[in-house]
Amino acid sequence: MSGRLEPSRGWPLFVALLAAGYGAVPLLFGANQYIMSMVVAALVIGCVALSWALLGNLGGMVSFGHSAFFGVGAYVSAIVTLKAGLPVPAGMALGGAGAVVASLAMLPVLRLRGPYFALAILAYAHIFRIVATEWTSVTGGSGGIGNIPVLPTPLPNMFGVDMGGKTGAYLVILTIVLLFALAYRAIRASHYGLALRAMHDSEDATRVVGVNSTLLKGLMLMVSAFMAGVAGAFNAHYLNFLEPDYAFNGVWVTLPIVAAIFGGYRTIAGPVIGALVVYLLDQLVFKALIPTGHQLVLGGLLVAMIIFSPTGLLPLLQKPASKPGRNDHA
Amino acid sequence: MRKITMAASLAVMMTVMAARANAEEFIVGAQLPLTGTLARVGAGMQEGVMVAADVFNKGNGKHKIKIVTIDDESAPAKAVAAVEKLASEGAIAITGGYGSNNISPASDAANKLALPYITSGGVDDNLVNSGRKNFFRINNTAGYEKAVLGTLADMGAKSVSIIFSTKEATSDLANSVQKALAAKGVKATAHSFDPAITDFKPIVNKIRLQDKSEVILMVGYENDYVGILRAARVLKPPVKALIGVWSLATPKMAAEFPDLMPNVYGTALLPFPATFDTADGKAFAAAYKALYKKEPDYLGQFGYVQSMLLFEAIARAADKGTVKKGGVAEELRKTDRETLIGRVQFGANGDNLNFVHRMAQHQGKNIVIVWPASNATGKMVYPGKPW
Repeated sequence: MSGRLEPSRGWPLFVALLAAGYGAVPLLFGANQYIMSMVVAALVIGCVALSWALLGNLGGMVSFGHSAFFGVGAYVSAIVTLKAGLPVPAGMALGGAGAVVASLAMLPVLRLRGPYFALAILAYAHIFRIVATEWTSVTGGSGGIGNIPVLPTPLPNMFGVDMGGKTGAYLVILTIVLLFALAYRAIRASHYGLALRAMHDSEDATRVVGVNSTLLKGLMLMVSAFMAGVAGAFNAHYLNFLEPDYAFNGVWVTLPIVAAIFGGYRTIAGPVIGALVVYLLDQLVFKALIPTGHQLVLGGLLVAMIIFSPTGLLPLLQKPASKPGRNDHA
Repeated sequence: MRKITMAASLAVMMTVMAARANAEEFIVGAQLPLTGTLARVGAGMQEGVMVAADVFNKGNGKHKIKIVTIDDESAPAKAVAAVEKLASEGAIAITGGYGSNNISPASDAANKLALPYITSGGVDDNLVNSGRKNFFRINNTAGYEKAVLGTLADMGAKSVSIIFSTKEATSDLANSVQKALAAKGVKATAHSFDPAITDFKPIVNKIRLQDKSEVILMVGYENDYVGILRAARVLKPPVKALIGVWSLATPKMAAEFPDLMPNVYGTALLPFPATFDTADGKAFAAAYKALYKKEPDYLGQFGYVQSMLLFEAIARAADKGTVKKGGVAEELRKTDRETLIGRVQFGANGDNLNFVHRMAQHQGKNIVIVWPASNATGKMVYPGKPW
């Protein structure tokens, strides 16, 4: 999950991160519910940040409406598990599928570019929130849905550590993020990824050589929507509660954008690492020092990061090892 | 004689000090929104919680309460994390919470950790109907509904236009009031609005030209009231009164919007300037003024009552040695006493069975309780409009 994942030096780091993620974190912090809660919340944001960065990096689209996919995924999964009695994993997959269906409604705005696309997708997020509020018979209206089925526990007990509850939820979201990152990497390495990179340099030129750029952008929107939808579904089952203002809250797009830009949104690992650093620093360090108003410190840190390393944290860390290549953007 | 008096005083002081030194200290967690969208109401409740701890600790030599507060930043996931952190720091119960969307997951987390959770910050009925065993609430929608209906009945209003936010608590209250008014033969027309709306002129214009109601009932939050009242001030609908619910009849609103508040009604437990007749009320007011150098408001009063009931339950459980055996929740269930918000008894679902709010009216710089008659501190000005 390194930035460029070059086999020669990326894999050892990747294996080390896997060992830390699946071994060290549960063993060291599994008993501390508060820290595990923070890590889970950071990974949920990281998952949405990854999906947002994929759309921006491969699809070339800046979205302000990812809360729409997050919310739709959450609602679909909550409803199908609660009312139709489906198992939670199936519900989460359907949550992702629901977000893909929601993205189909956004296809007409794919022809828009830049701020026009960003604003149009933001409008969709508002539309979905209002639908969730007004469609009371299905969504429970503004009161939302309570008692959503909890996440299944993957491994009740391992090495004497209780893997249920927070640790179980952590392992689930970690696996989801990992799978999405690998999917992102596979897309980027495929010929679709090549075409998308070419589109960044000149969309008109790639169209001339036969690349259907609108179709490719649509596909990226669907992949991105699926990822955000699954993150929303996970969060619904993790918190066991959902209401329109929360599910479609702007925070589900602003915080992932901040995390992605902080970590380096043109890398694969950057958005996730950005989410972990931003959220955990803010909640575990800055909040402990300044219980109210700690966001100020985070704000200052973000400004400093953007000034000194506009490409984000991960490229900043990689600079001593290698200078940025021409294709870093994708 | 003087030596005897001095010796006696010294002995009493030493006894008190010894009792304090031996006092058993219990940590109570306060999960509150001190930043984010609910920061103002969260800070108000926090003041009440701290005053309750101060009053309790001064009056109870045997047990001490230490408050540990965590800001939930008005976010559900952080509310859950706050409860978990408080539990890890040794909290034996939680007081606080604001907004049903934060309280619901936070009280679920408390339930899983077997911590009693008491609040006055959420009126969503799902909170008490979802089977949480250790959940307690001192206020509810029914109490607000009684105050609104009672005031409208006293006014003798024949037609009411209800403007309400589509949020859960506001929708529930508006729908209940509309049904109750319809059952009494009062013409009640409802106008819902999305919480994101800031321009209320279309709705107010509709009321002015179409409904032509005697009373406008606003069921929303501070910003909504300000928007509706501004629109009404511009369009001047032919109404006789404008009524709101929570967060409206407060000294803060009177000070910040002197042109919008005159004669407007809102639920309030306290008149302004506040007056207290009971010993509990006087202790609350004195401690509040000492700690915060200002007049107490209703948020502080709610925070105080919920926390004091919890502290008393902790003390009773401690005396029986059942604090770590579910005794605090058990003692809370046995609560039956007069408080600053009236008599409190908890039903099987943790809801306060006796909650009835009061209705107040902005009159000049004062806030006057006008309903119910038993608590009234003045007469209602009716008809009365801000313009």
